[in-house]
Amino acid sequence: MAKGIHTVATKAFNSFEMAQAQFDKVADVLGLDAATRDLLRVPLREYQFSIPVRMDDGSVKVFRGFRVQHNDARGPSKGGIRFHPQETVDTVRALGMWMTWKCAVVDIPLGGAKGGVICDPHNLSAHEQEQICRGWVRQVARDVGPLADVPAPDVMTTPQHMLWMLDEYEALHAGRHYPGFITGKPVGLGGSLGRTEATGFGLVFTLREALRELGLEAGQTKASVQGFGNVAQYAIRLYRQLGGTVVAVASWDQEDQASYTFRKPSGVDPDELLGITDRFGGIDKKKAEKLGYEQLPGDAWLEQPVDILIPAALENQIRGDNVGRIHASVRIIAEGANGPTTPEADKIIDERGIFLIPDFLANAGGVTCSYFEQVQSNSNYFWEKDEVLAKLDLKMTAAFAAVYELAKRQKLFMRDAAYVIAVNRVAQACRDRGWV
Amino acid sequence: MSLPDGPVDKILEALRERAKELNCLYNVHEIITRPNASLDDICRGLLEVIPRGWQYPAECWARITLEGSVYQPPGSVNTLWVQRAGIVVQGEVVGAIEVYYTRQMPRADEGPFLKEERRLINTIAEWVAHLLMQRRLQTTLRNWSTSDAAAPEPTLRREWWVIIDFLGKTDHQLLTRIGRRMINHLCWNGIEAAQQLLERSAADLRDPNGVWFEDNRPLEKRSEQQLLTLTNDAFRIASEYLSEREIIACIEQWIKDDKSSFLIEAVEDQGTSLTEIAEALGRYHQFAVQDRELSRPVQVGLRVSLTRRLLTDSLAFMNTARHFIEVEDFHDILHHVIAPAASHGKLGGKSAGLLLACQIVRKANEYADALGEIKVPKTWYLTSDGLLNFVAYNHLEDVYNRKYLEVDQIRREYPHIVQVFKHSHFAPEILNGLSAALDDFDDRPLIVRSSSLLEDQTGAAFSGKYKSLFLANQGTKAERLAALTDAIAEVYASVFSPDPIEYRAARGLLDLHEEMGIMIQQVVGTRVGRYFMPAWAGVAFSNNEFRWSARIKRDDGLVRLVPGLGTRAVDRVPDDYPVLIAPGQAGLRVNITPDEIVNYAPKKLDLINLETRQFETVSVADVVREYGRAFPALPHIVSVARDGGMLRPVAFDWNPECDVPVVTFEGLVANTPFIPKMKAILRVLRERTGGPVDIEFASDGRDFYLLQCRPQSFADDATPAPIPRDLPEDRILFSARRYVSNGRVPDITHVVYVDPERYAEIGSLAELRDVGRAVGRLNKILPKRQFILIGPGRWGSRGDVKLGVNVTYSDINNTSMLIEVATHRGNYVPDLSFGTHFFQDLVESSIRYLPLFPDDDSTLQMAFMRSAPNILPDVLPDYRHLQDVLRVMDLPNVTGGLVLRVLMNADLDQAVGVLVRPAGPSAAAETRHVDETRPEDHWRWRLRMAERIAAELNPARFGVKAMYVFGSTKNATAGPGSDIDLLVHLDGRDRVRPDLQLWLEGWSHCLAEVNYLRTGYKSEGLLDVHFVTDADIEQKTSYASKIGAVTDAARPLALGRS
Repeated sequence: MAKGIHTVATKAFNSFEMAQAQFDKVADVLGLDAATRDLLRVPLREYQFSIPVRMDDGSVKVFRGFRVQHNDARGPSKGGIRFHPQETVDTVRALGMWMTWKCAVVDIPLGGAKGGVICDPHNLSAHEQEQICRGWVRQVARDVGPLADVPAPDVMTTPQHMLWMLDEYEALHAGRHYPGFITGKPVGLGGSLGRTEATGFGLVFTLREALRELGLEAGQTKASVQGFGNVAQYAIRLYRQLGGTVVAVASWDQEDQASYTFRKPSGVDPDELLGITDRFGGIDKKKAEKLGYEQLPGDAWLEQPVDILIPAALENQIRGDNVGRIHASVRIIAEGANGPTTPEADKIIDERGIFLIPDFLANAGGVTCSYFEQVQSNSNYFWEKDEVLAKLDLKMTAAFAAVYELAKRQKLFMRDAAYVIAVNRVAQACRDRGWV
Repeated sequence: MSLPDGPVDKILEALRERAKELNCLYNVHEIITRPNASLDDICRGLLEVIPRGWQYPAECWARITLEGSVYQPPGSVNTLWVQRAGIVVQGEVVGAIEVYYTRQMPRADEGPFLKEERRLINTIAEWVAHLLMQRRLQTTLRNWSTSDAAAPEPTLRREWWVIIDFLGKTDHQLLTRIGRRMINHLCWNGIEAAQQLLERSAADLRDPNGVWFEDNRPLEKRSEQQLLTLTNDAFRIASEYLSEREIIACIEQWIKDDKSSFLIEAVEDQGTSLTEIAEALGRYHQFAVQDRELSRPVQVGLRVSLTRRLLTDSLAFMNTARHFIEVEDFHDILHHVIAPAASHGKLGGKSAGLLLACQIVRKANEYADALGEIKVPKTWYLTSDGLLNFVAYNHLEDVYNRKYLEVDQIRREYPHIVQVFKHSHFAPEILNGLSAALDDFDDRPLIVRSSSLLEDQTGAAFSGKYKSLFLANQGTKAERLAALTDAIAEVYASVFSPDPIEYRAARGLLDLHEEMGIMIQQVVGTRVGRYFMPAWAGVAFSNNEFRWSARIKRDDGLVRLVPGLGTRAVDRVPDDYPVLIAPGQAGLRVNITPDEIVNYAPKKLDLINLETRQFETVSVADVVREYGRAFPALPHIVSVARDGGMLRPVAFDWNPECDVPVVTFEGLVANTPFIPKMKAILRVLRERTGGPVDIEFASDGRDFYLLQCRPQSFADDATPAPIPRDLPEDRILFSARRYVSNGRVPDITHVVYVDPERYAEIGSLAELRDVGRAVGRLNKILPKRQFILIGPGRWGSRGDVKLGVNVTYSDINNTSMLIEVATHRGNYVPDLSFGTHFFQDLVESSIRYLPLFPDDDSTLQMAFMRSAPNILPDVLPDYRHLQDVLRVMDLPNVTGGLVLRVLMNADLDQAVGVLVRPAGPSAAAETRHVDETRPEDHWRWRLRMAERIAAELNPARFGVKAMYVFGSTKNATAGPGSDIDLLVHLDGRDRVRPDLQLWLEGWSHCLAEVNYLRTGYKSEGLLDVHFVTDADIEQKTSYASKIGAVTDAARPLALGRS
């Protein structure tokens, strides 16, 4: 058996098994037939291959590469390439399946895939990494491409890696240009504008729709945000443009190795805070105080008397042990981070009737923008930022409407509704193509 | 306002005279050194130039008598007013130089002549004599070689006899010395006849009975004739055994050696002052003898003596230096030395190290290509006795005995000492020297550094203990000189500051006198607007003690690189990071993902503000934004973060308004020879000095400058720990044989062990995450820096949590060590992280890292780890369900009082974790951090203070039910910077709590001040107080769990009465 593809005791945690179990639950809700289940439970295609690389010291090292195409019934499959020292095919399978649902929930015409190489870039020089990238492309060039499978950056891969891969792909295709082969490229070399804003703005587009459905006036609402990274910053900006007031922001303080909540009832100004933020996203406490911010413990963001909570930092932030501290005034939780709410907390949130915009809908702005990048690359015509963001608004709004409509109709929790709609769309495509 | 005419005129007159004399000397020198000029021509030339050096040239003429010939201007007439100097060659007067005035002139020092003119004429006579001697030797040598070629067959009286004859007639002493060396030479070559000759000459000294003369009877002086016979005999024997060529080579060599004899005498005689040595070196310099031409023993002897007198006493240093620093080099150095009159001082270790490194690099021809040009900034030196001179000159002798005072008193008095020093004066000769140095430096900024002698003598690293000061060196000459003397006085005062005194006391060096040389160095850099700074600077080490990848070997070295002044690379600064590069593996960087690169990039730089004349720390982004391209070598320093990636600008078209500059040094590494150069420097210095080195360097954007070089010493927690061979098997908890760094981690009381097999078996993601959270909780509860973490795979794994415990740096920041276990899983061994997830944080806070490979060459006592009682359910009841996976062991409890000590030795690539009795106070003193001179004092004092506070506290007034102390004070591990952790159990009356807080705050400030006086550690308060209520205790939340805890329980304190 190849290095890295190992068997562990069956009871051990396995991400692929977990993804399958999750799918099974949704399949039950949808009442999918056995064949459709069999088709969607496992990837359509898997490639596993060796990448020999001549190292800087002259020796040759062989790296293990993967590409898993889970499903492409709705369009070319799409998904990142991970460089991880302990990559396993099961992880890649689970993430590939996840990509299929993610693209389907925002209704973009793409399937799901994932790939990777077992390696740790910390142990590799830039030149060696370049050789791995080029080697990866050489091994799967005939099975990927703008019309088949489109890679993107992921864990420990960067725009630089994407450009090396693109260059190798084009070299293998007689120097013809195929910028749509890969996404995550820098602006000016096939990248899309609006990428920085996409996830934060996308979050607020869905939030705006939720407010409307709940009959709330954005200008009358207050929000509390956990995190002050890229997503949180752009979310705060757009929410303020809608008229809302952010009264608290929680951020990580590297020096104290703790997080703090900064509260300003009159409204947080992201530009003002950005001026006093360090490299780790930490806010200078003394300067914040001078600007009129009150400093509270790290989890105080959760307890604020606001209408909206936006966890946009880490996973597992709203848990069984602290969900009770959410203020009674809270009406909406918009998940900007991945998996910020645990299943136990989900239950309580559902019971209390708090409206939840689940992560994979709320932060789908990123993948939507990747899709736009590919569309622009394929047509070799690049849009202005406004155009990108306007199209993003349309997509997110439509996606939200569909999920919300389903949740209302079928009386489903929003998270389940999002899942159901995604699986349903993929299953339908397979059916329509006559596969099952 | 003007000075009276008289004195000014006189001074001007005198100056004009000196200029004339110098000019004359210059002309004479030029004539004498004309190659191939005949003696006649030279003498005629001299007649012309000599009179110009005298006071009244128009009335002056010269006459030279040489070997019977007389040279004088036509029509000159002898007068009474004459100054005369003999020309003496090898003791024989061969002529004279005379200077005449044609008529009577005003009286001066020597008749109408000045005393300066006496020196002038003497010097000219000496030069002519020297010239003559050279010519004679040349002729003789030429004769030998021609006759040698013409008549290869030796005749009875060989040609080299000519020189013996010559010497016999001219310089007996030289001849006998050479004769003596010939006898020795022959004897050492095992020639019997010579040995007999030696015995025979010795026999002359014996009385007829063959008994040596009584020691206390003076030896009869041997007649000159006897000695000459001996010499002749020696050469007769030589002619039988040695070739003609060899004999000539010997004689030639010995004559040259003999020329350096006066220099040897000067340096060997401990009574000669630096000035005299400088003069001797000057004379030697004039002979233009390359020291390479001397015979080896003489050459080495001279180099060693000079090193000892001028640089340092260190044996190791002399051993290396004698191969590289030539006699001529000392001549250059002495031109930049400032010393008190009759100085016997040295330059000290730092200066010596730099001089040596510089010579080594300069002479490493085989590496010349890689090394390229390496410069050293212009440097002046103030000798070590400058401090003594300064103290004596200002009658500050009292200061010497201050060091025997209690340290808190020293600390209290120290600011006054600084002021007194700053208001004292320097002796005039020092001021003159400094003034000359400033003229040489111009108005470039300077750094005044200490160069301690004690450091070399003892091998103790005083780095950072004494001050180094930056000077903007702007303004008028007087302002600059005042600033310079002020800085030197401050550096002098730092010898008497409490920290070095404590450090010396701890090492038993207090009784030795500290002498300190001063190095005044031009700061490398360029002017950027109102700032002055180098483009980049840093430190580099031969040995990499912080490897972040298994592919990096120890001797791949380590560079800490920053923009601006190197101060931020030398010291660890709390809010910033240097860029780390291993020159041997420059491609393997610590930070790979754009996030890592941005987060751990240097954000600030140190520089000199020429307007405020201050040393300042400013933000890199601000300087780049303000000055853009004017920032030296900017494309080599920064990359740009854009679109989630890092780009190295090809050309500088980026917009500082929106692009964020990130310091990566990618350009420097990729586009310049920096890495090969650094590799070559480290390699050459390691090879030639015989050990790993530690260098400081800087660049102004064009040239590379070496600033400092010394043997790589170790921070106190990073010396290689000796590993005993006879450790009992059952006491060894684990051992490792790969990727080991240096250091020792003493007195670990708790082990947190994540069982790799059990961890792999965990079935739910939530439970896997729980392990990380439980570790984070333990990190807060267990005694700080007294526990270690052992776990599978990669600590801090961010991707797949199954591959390593999911923690962030804040979850592990109190551990003293992080151990990663790589066990076979299926058929592969997982890669370890080498702490890369938070590598730079580990480095900057000295948390040790060790990987274990139990299936290969490491050992880990799995049985003990699994069987020892697990206290997890007691300390963290919430995480009881993890007890199969997460095991917490209270070592003293389960081993009958033993603690774990980890010994790490990178030289052997070996580490062991061994259970030992806790170190007693004396042994502890040895192993502890340097600043903890008497470690037991720190916790005892703290405990006593905690008891006092409790006793003074009125429980009824403040609503206090009980009070506890915990942490380092309770555990007897408190260091000088530790705080006192108090736990106050309140009865829940919130109203009085502010009063209590205020009351305790008073104590806290007061104790902080006392602690500062005792240790020099500043803090805003010494108390860390935690309040708990009944409810907390019931729920065992956070600190309340310390009360009555199973392990590391808080210790109750007796409260005062109401």
